[in-house]
Amino acid sequence: MVRAMHSMLATLLFWIVVLMTVTAATFVVVARNILHAAFALAVAFLGVAGIYIFLHADFLAAVQLIVYVGGIIVLVMFAIMFSAHTQEGTVEPRRTWLALGGGALVAGVVLAATIMLINRLQVPLAEANAHADAAYRTTASAAPGEIALGHVLLGEYLLPFEVASILILAALVGAVAIVRKETR
Amino acid sequence: MDAALTLAASDLVQWLGNLLTFRLASCLALSGALFAIGAWGVLARRNILLVLISVELMLNAVMLAFVAFARAHVNLAKETGLPYAGESGQIFALTIIALAAAEAAVGLAIVIAYFRNRQTVDTRDISLMRH
Repeated sequence: MVRAMHSMLATLLFWIVVLMTVTAATFVVVARNILHAAFALAVAFLGVAGIYIFLHADFLAAVQLIVYVGGIIVLVMFAIMFSAHTQEGTVEPRRTWLALGGGALVAGVVLAATIMLINRLQVPLAEANAHADAAYRTTASAAPGEIALGHVLLGEYLLPFEVASILILAALVGAVAIVRKETR
Repeated sequence: MDAALTLAASDLVQWLGNLLTFRLASCLALSGALFAIGAWGVLARRNILLVLISVELMLNAVMLAFVAFARAHVNLAKETGLPYAGESGQIFALTIIALAAAEAAVGLAIVIAYFRNRQTVDTRDISLMRH
């Protein structure tokens, strides 16, 4: 009984986090003030990090917090403040209903397609879900921990890891080269 | 009577629990919702910075789907002999985080450079690539 209560509580928390994420993401799209949208984006990223914890991806949740909430949000804030010298400040001019409605229509189609796909996959998904749950219950170390992740990252996936690091280096050097003031 | 009531209540709790703890489908639904919201933002916003932010939302949605599937197939390794089934999805997500960081850095740099030259971040005014 205690276990069931515990499970229900976790489920409630899960859905609260889901609701928070979706609300914040929607606010990113509808907020008129760009700074408010950036703050809402931080909340949405926090929510996704919370979902990662529910999915037993603790390391990924930490990386999400550090890279997105700590890095990309700060970068976005800087860019907003660099480019906010227009007469409207950080408040966006009015948007046409055509743009909002058209975007919402496309988004609705994407969402409907996803839900239809999930419904078609319902049985295999349920099986996989029950399977994973059983695995977690029987073996304590079923979740890929940080150690296993590190071994795989520097073993099987060493080449993608190195390629990604070279790509980041090239991208950062390129970003500096683009932003630097031209001296003639 | 009392016992039957308790049994029915526990059945209800069980059913609700099954419905709500169906984590993989709920995570995929959340992923789809985030992707759709991101696509909406890309199409509807006029500030180029907000378009970039919406792309970040879409990338996050894809990462979420990878991690959800990785969690569901965590024990596939032992049964099928496939190595690293549980870790692969998380490695994909980590790589996407790295690519998203690179994309954000380059994208924002281009926006700042463009703003310096043209004093605008409105997607309607951004149509020239030369100085």
